[in-house]
Amino acid sequence: MAETFAVLGLFDSADALAKAIPGVRDRKLGRLEAYTPYPIHGIDEALGLRRSPLGGMVLVMGILGALTAFGFQYWISAVDYPIVTGGKAPWSWEAFIPIMFEVTVLFATFTAGLGMLFLLNKLPFFGHPVLQSKAISAITRDRFALALEAEGATLDPAACEAALRAAGAREIEVVPAPERAPFVTSDFVLRSLGGIFLACAGAGVLMYWAVKLFPVLPPMSYMQNQPRLNAFKPSAFFKDGFGMRAPAPGTVARGHLPLGAATQEEAAGLANPLPRTREVFEMGKAAYHNRCEVCHGALGKGQGSLTAAYGAKPANLQAQQFRDYPDGKIYWAVTKGKNQMPAHDADLSETQRWAVVHYVRALQRAQNATDADLQQAVRR
Amino acid sequence: MQVDAATLPGDLPERLREPALTEGLVTAGGLDDQVLAFPETRPPKQWYIALAITLSALGIGLGCIGYTFFKGIGAWGNNSPVFWAFDIINFVFWIGIGHAGTLISAILFLFRKRWRNAIARFAEAMTIFAVLCAVIFPLIHVGRPWLAFWLFPYPNQRAIWTNFRSPLLWDVFAVNTYFSVSAMFWYLGLIPDIASMRDRTTSKVRKVIYTALSLGWRGAASHWRHYEKAYLLLAGLATGLVLSVHSVVSFDFATSVVPGWHMTIFPPYFVAGAIFAGFAMVVIVMVVVRESMQLKNLITTRHLEVMNKVILGMACLMGYSYFMEGFTAWYSMNEYLHHGFKNIISGTYGWAGWLTISCNILIPQLLWFRRCRTSYFWMILVAIAVTVGMWFERFVIIVISLHQDFLPSAWRVYKPTVYDFGILLGTFGLFFTLVLIFARVLPVIATTEVKGILPGAQPEHGGHHG
Repeated sequence: MAETFAVLGLFDSADALAKAIPGVRDRKLGRLEAYTPYPIHGIDEALGLRRSPLGGMVLVMGILGALTAFGFQYWISAVDYPIVTGGKAPWSWEAFIPIMFEVTVLFATFTAGLGMLFLLNKLPFFGHPVLQSKAISAITRDRFALALEAEGATLDPAACEAALRAAGAREIEVVPAPERAPFVTSDFVLRSLGGIFLACAGAGVLMYWAVKLFPVLPPMSYMQNQPRLNAFKPSAFFKDGFGMRAPAPGTVARGHLPLGAATQEEAAGLANPLPRTREVFEMGKAAYHNRCEVCHGALGKGQGSLTAAYGAKPANLQAQQFRDYPDGKIYWAVTKGKNQMPAHDADLSETQRWAVVHYVRALQRAQNATDADLQQAVRR
Repeated sequence: MQVDAATLPGDLPERLREPALTEGLVTAGGLDDQVLAFPETRPPKQWYIALAITLSALGIGLGCIGYTFFKGIGAWGNNSPVFWAFDIINFVFWIGIGHAGTLISAILFLFRKRWRNAIARFAEAMTIFAVLCAVIFPLIHVGRPWLAFWLFPYPNQRAIWTNFRSPLLWDVFAVNTYFSVSAMFWYLGLIPDIASMRDRTTSKVRKVIYTALSLGWRGAASHWRHYEKAYLLLAGLATGLVLSVHSVVSFDFATSVVPGWHMTIFPPYFVAGAIFAGFAMVVIVMVVVRESMQLKNLITTRHLEVMNKVILGMACLMGYSYFMEGFTAWYSMNEYLHHGFKNIISGTYGWAGWLTISCNILIPQLLWFRRCRTSYFWMILVAIAVTVGMWFERFVIIVISLHQDFLPSAWRVYKPTVYDFGILLGTFGLFFTLVLIFARVLPVIATTEVKGILPGAQPEHGGHHG
């Protein structure tokens, strides 16, 4: 390592510095560098500095930022957690644009700022010889230094001083090379930062898998994995593979006492237990409207609104045959169903079914009223 | 007034030439002695008094926030249907205050408005402090602030992700990016200044701190070329960013279906309002700073006048926005919009609507007069009116629109509680505490940038005709 790191020539104005550069440069005594308190326009070319590559770096990282943001949002919204919100499709990319823009700017600015400091300028670097020079406090204040720096091992301080003096430098300072390389160099910092970054990235990936895998390892379990019966899947609990046991013979469900009649003819003997009160007729009317009217019609004539749609032929309850039916046979038909008519023992309670019977009787009587009925009604 | 002959073509008529950016004789070294001396000296008594006042305000705010955590959001006046009130008003208000700093440091930099150099540092600092004040509100507004990290999309044991179609999540990204980028921009500008402070100071402790903060900056030409490129790129990126941030904030409103919010004019309207309010705050702070810190030669009357012109221009833009809001309501032939607009100029909160219109449009018209643009009394009056008016504009937008929406059965008059006002006061305390500390700890003027535009600072034939 050369004993002299650099020879600094101090100038009083930016103009003097700019004028001095070409002459010193032509002597090719060492690497040319300028130290100034603020950026001086137009000396970059004179010093032979190339254009900063920062623009390209920022462009690449900005595009990377946009792609990262898009990919991240797409993967989350359309792949990993596809939830429809606001009636929009999971891959509705239009909504991803604001965040894409912000992440683009974030990546680009951090590339511009940190890339400039750490990668291009190799900062932080606290051990640079110029920082130890006497001239540095003048340089960061208001004076301008032109430096000839050692390249390899060849720097002739006397020749450098002469060249700078000839170019108009007011003062000369010879900056010695440091005796040993400083511990905290830019490379050290870069390597440390890189190491920290890699460690963070690795820790992040590990965390991700830990968070994903840990909860599903035994003895942890998700709610959907709990022990339970699935429909049409054999159960391992009972030998026959059924999940539940058949009820004991003779078990009667609540509200489903046996009819006490095996056929409709046998049911003819059943008597309607309900009184013929207004409440019972209201109950029967409501049940008839809900369950019977679509087929049998509002007046029981078998011309309900569903008749045409299904091509069914429901009974005309006003026919003489049904007017002659005892209550029990109507009750049996309501409970068990008949021909195409479904059973209603599940839809209507026993009381409702008997009430329907009363209501059907009322419909029959209303459609075949006699003069006596009319007089009775008027008297009331 | 002296003319910067070195950087201007000499053949321009006098009235077309740009006047000097500083008053009196300012040299690069003198600038350092003037500006960088503040952190090296003890603050005056007035500074401590001011700090005591702002810290008290901050303490009141922290107390009110503490009570809110203890009691719950019920401590505030928010209630159905006014779910957003002071918290969101203050959030939008503070984010808006920050926008002037980025406008000055980034957009005016791209436009090569060199007068910005003297005020850019302070305005950028105000941006960062204002955004800090702003982010408090979404955090305490969520009700369970200890779970505020749920706002971020991160893989979690609950196996759920954030909703990227929600403008509230866009807000999270926009505001965080804005804060990061502003801080980066600010710090990059500070590095050469801190290097100057490092080489000035005689205290060993300060030397270590400044050395670490300046990262060993040595002013090498090979560094400056990357630095200038980075600064230019950051300015360009921050310009797009600042326009996007308040647009995204306005999406919180515009993408909803609430009458009075669901309007396409909202993004530009919010951005203009933000710059408007921010400039008013910058004027207030700059007047105090230049008087109390004897910086009149650097922050000249011309700086204030130009800023006041920006305020005037923005006031006219706000007038246009308000007019368009009314026009949209009328032209929509939508009875809900009609009703919403009627509520602004009459009804329970009609006073707030008229206060907004007078403070933001009528009073700034005073700035058409040169005398008002250059007189402290009038410019402070206008700036305070604009600050108040812009706060009430957000009140008008948020509370008036919410308190009577579609269903009359759900209408309710909103009344803030003392805790709402306390938290607002607290953020003002936080903002000015940070401003006061900044003014004594870091260079309040970007000395490096101002040095570069002093007369004779650049080589005569450097090809730079700014």
